[in-house]
Amino acid sequence: MNTIYLLFTVLFGGAILTFLLGKLSRILYYIVFLLTMAAAVFVFYAQIRIGDTVNINVDDMQLQWGLTAFGWLFSLMVLGLGLLAAIYSIAYMKGKDRLGYFYLHFLISIGAMLGILLSRDLVSFFIFWEIMTWASYFIVVYSGKDVQKTGIRYILFSAIGAYAMLMAIVIIYGQTNSISIDDLAVNYSTFSTSLQIWIPLLLITAFAVKSALMPLHVWAPGAYANSPMAYTAVFSGALSKMGIYGMVIVFVTLIANLPQGVIIRDIIAWLGAITAVMGTFWAIAQDDAKKLLAYSSIGQLGYIIVGVAIGTSFAMMAALFMAIMHALFKGALFMAVGAVERQAGTTDLTEVTGLIRKMPWTFIASLISIIALAGIPPVGGFVGKWMLYESLISSDHYLLVILIFFASTAGFLYCYKFLFGFFLGQEEKEWEHVKEAPVMMVVPMMLMAVMALILGVFPGILLKPVDVAMQSMGYAETYGHLWSMSVLFNEWGNQVMLEPLFYAIIIVFMVFLVFLVLKGMKGTRYVTTKDISTSGEIPLEHENLTFKGNFFQPFLRAVDPVMKRQIMTYYRQIGDGLEAFFDFIRRVYSGNGQTYAIYVMIFLVILLLLKDSLFG
Amino acid sequence: MGEFFSLLLGAVVTFILAFFVGITYGGLTRIITARVQNRIGPPWYQNLLDIVKLFSKKTAIHHGAMHFMGPAFIMVTAVVSVLVIPVLNEGRWFPNLNFHGDLIFLLYIMTFGPLGMALGAGQTGNPNSAIGVTRGLSQMVGFEIPWVMALVALMIQYQTTSIVDLMTIQVETGTWIAFSSPFAFMAAVMAMFGMFRYAPFDIVGAPSELASGPISENGGKYLFVMMTAGSVFAFAKLTLYVDLFMGGADNLLILVIKTFALYMIPVLYGVINPRYRTEQAIRWFWGWPSFFGLLAILQAVFF
Amino acid sequence: MINDKNAQKIVDIIQNFARKHSIWVLAYGTGCGAIEIPPTMTSRYDAERLGVRGAATPRQADVLLVTGYLTVKTLKRVVRVYEQMQDPKYIIGFGSCTINGGMYWDSYNTIKLLDKYMPVDVYINGCMPRPESVLGGFAELEKLIAAGKGDGATE
Repeated sequence: MNTIYLLFTVLFGGAILTFLLGKLSRILYYIVFLLTMAAAVFVFYAQIRIGDTVNINVDDMQLQWGLTAFGWLFSLMVLGLGLLAAIYSIAYMKGKDRLGYFYLHFLISIGAMLGILLSRDLVSFFIFWEIMTWASYFIVVYSGKDVQKTGIRYILFSAIGAYAMLMAIVIIYGQTNSISIDDLAVNYSTFSTSLQIWIPLLLITAFAVKSALMPLHVWAPGAYANSPMAYTAVFSGALSKMGIYGMVIVFVTLIANLPQGVIIRDIIAWLGAITAVMGTFWAIAQDDAKKLLAYSSIGQLGYIIVGVAIGTSFAMMAALFMAIMHALFKGALFMAVGAVERQAGTTDLTEVTGLIRKMPWTFIASLISIIALAGIPPVGGFVGKWMLYESLISSDHYLLVILIFFASTAGFLYCYKFLFGFFLGQEEKEWEHVKEAPVMMVVPMMLMAVMALILGVFPGILLKPVDVAMQSMGYAETYGHLWSMSVLFNEWGNQVMLEPLFYAIIIVFMVFLVFLVLKGMKGTRYVTTKDISTSGEIPLEHENLTFKGNFFQPFLRAVDPVMKRQIMTYYRQIGDGLEAFFDFIRRVYSGNGQTYAIYVMIFLVILLLLKDSLFG
Repeated sequence: MGEFFSLLLGAVVTFILAFFVGITYGGLTRIITARVQNRIGPPWYQNLLDIVKLFSKKTAIHHGAMHFMGPAFIMVTAVVSVLVIPVLNEGRWFPNLNFHGDLIFLLYIMTFGPLGMALGAGQTGNPNSAIGVTRGLSQMVGFEIPWVMALVALMIQYQTTSIVDLMTIQVETGTWIAFSSPFAFMAAVMAMFGMFRYAPFDIVGAPSELASGPISENGGKYLFVMMTAGSVFAFAKLTLYVDLFMGGADNLLILVIKTFALYMIPVLYGVINPRYRTEQAIRWFWGWPSFFGLLAILQAVFF
Repeated sequence: MINDKNAQKIVDIIQNFARKHSIWVLAYGTGCGAIEIPPTMTSRYDAERLGVRGAATPRQADVLLVTGYLTVKTLKRVVRVYEQMQDPKYIIGFGSCTINGGMYWDSYNTIKLLDKYMPVDVYINGCMPRPESVLGGFAELEKLIAAGKGDGATE
């Protein structure tokens, strides 16, 4: 059987098998689930080659499934993150009910994402897109609470995007009579100008919903926070990148050939920058770790969209690198939040405190991931940010650089809030019982954190597949010109050599750490966090010295004017207006027979009056 | 191997130079502050005595592993900055890694230290440290904006992100960048107030405000490392400004004169000023300094 | 770590010189005597010439200045503060109340002899001592440090 069919059979069949077999015994859930994921990874990487295609004929439309280098790049995220999240979810979902439901939809969404990456024609793209939305919706409402607010909002916005995409597909089919993406790229310049503008806009709307671009982002915080953390790692790591995947295709194949494309690029780039800034601000204001990470995801996706929209090869490389790095460190962070939630019971940053001695491995994974998020060398996020800044400066987008840098600096604030909220600070009695998360939860986190660290020193490992993917989209080769194994260049010939700098940092750090530990080692004693300089007062066990509430109040006060208006308010106002309008129309059905008789008469009169113009 | 050792030797020599120059500047600042306040003040080597005294403390406490790592992080920032910023115009006497990094790397490494220090201070559990950290980070967002605007204006105008290139341009054209990009210089100097944390932006570690904020649990050997790092980092920042805006320096004497003249701007301004609250400080940085930064970018783009 | 007697002596001389000229006083006024500290630190009787500086927390301070009377409640806190300081540390008993009870010699609430509770290195007499006396007290402390004595915990 063709390997692509095999892949889908494994995934979708495995999903149904997990659901059915798990009803016999719980262990079977885990075994079949892990086997399915492992089999999918094996089939994909060992058997499917780039360039394989499969054609299915339905009526007179030809569905085409095949793998391109660009899709292969994104599949790293989907399958890699999916496998690690699957291992993690075994331990995370222990003791919860309705496991079959969760695993079924998990596997279906992974399968649908792979389907999106493998579709070479628009109809199967749309079908898999809808399956992905549907499966992830079911997991968002898994916990059963806030179904109305988060679930319906998610489905509504995804539906808006999906129907925009469907409209674009129908228009394209009407014009070219074919649904293949390659045919679209070839025939695009023959469309009329208004169509040439509308089609990318419709498609971008669909992809912007999934990648949480303002103003279509309002579903994201609730959806990310409400779904179980094992799935949110995949949700924000891989699913949002499907929107990026689509956007890159739209920008590279369609808008590049459009003379007015520059305006669309600028608008999307500015929207991306504003998303980055506002997402960061709202993340700083959050007190719940899940919402904080959700808003931070929105902000990071803003950076990626800016890179995609700018479109030069340097910017595209930066965006793709940042996309994969984001999957790595956000996945690790959501897993860490899940670990804390499981061990401590809550993820409220104002309540949990002082877990660093109790959950050291989780802390180390979060620390490295947070350093990657903040973009600080020597961990990987710096490489992406460096490339993004350089590409923006050399392509003359100066004000965007300021906004992005602003968002990046403000990002330090919520990074610190996350780490301080969970792990540092006072150690209180109510969290005395917290123990380290089980091994199956810690290992995926640490793996991703270590990979982020390695990619910071040797970004060439990841830049090679990115380069190949970009070449398949039509860009020129950038190896040696813009990057090599551990050196980054920019277009003016300046460079930053990551390896010697990394060694310098590590050597200095170790020297001084060893000095601090060894100096006077006999005279140094450990004191608890209650033995602090509180003007001589001796805090009792029950006294609360934790400073967690209203963190960053000065900063929030300073940016208060910008945060006063929320986009959700506008959506609510539109919704209320529509409701009032529909309420008004409802009065047509008055239930009174005589009113209906009047309606019929008025209708006949109008017909009579206009009979000439209507019936010629 | 020989190159590695010469690099290592150069790094150590640069570090020692930065340390001693930074110490002297600290001491001179205390004398100048004292004279402004009509008193005599300590001798100019007072900071060195403070540091030796802190080193010779016999006992210490620690709150955990992160407590050790906090001062180590800030030392990393200080040393790596000194390594990446070229000290003299020709790198013969102080060879360092300045061909291996550039301005954007420097920007990010300079923010790594305070963040690491904040993590170390966080583990102590002292609420004063936490409050001090939040204020410090918020203020950092404040002054980074005009600072980045000034740097971006420089990058656009001279089409390079390498500090060595900017220095070469100044030597070649013979004018300082302070005169050919005056708005960038003004924005950068205003941002310097926030970087050095003299009044009116010293609310982060004010002893009477919140028991000295992030360093409240650090004494003895931790404070030794931090004060050393502070002196070295101050020297690094001043050298960066001199390299970027004032034409670099050909020998040590000119470097010392230029950096000291530049250092006096925040010191003398600070000695007569009270403190801003944090949100006032942030809003000030987003006011006139950012306006000058915008003007700098406009000048770079259009002229 | 250093075994050689002479090397130890040289290190001691350097360290004592530094400790002598850099005294960080904990800014903790325990009684009414604290009102003489600001004049000592400010312009007229500049104590910074001697390297004396205020420190914000006990972790950073060398000298605990017990200024004046100590009630029983305050004694508990002062002892804790003293324990939080790092060696080598000194205590200066400031004012007559620390020597023999001073003005509150027959009060039910204060302690009379500080030496019974904490190892005091230097006493400064007076109620309140003038800033010149305070500077004299610091000079006395400097002599003690230079001689290597006065490491209060050993007493």
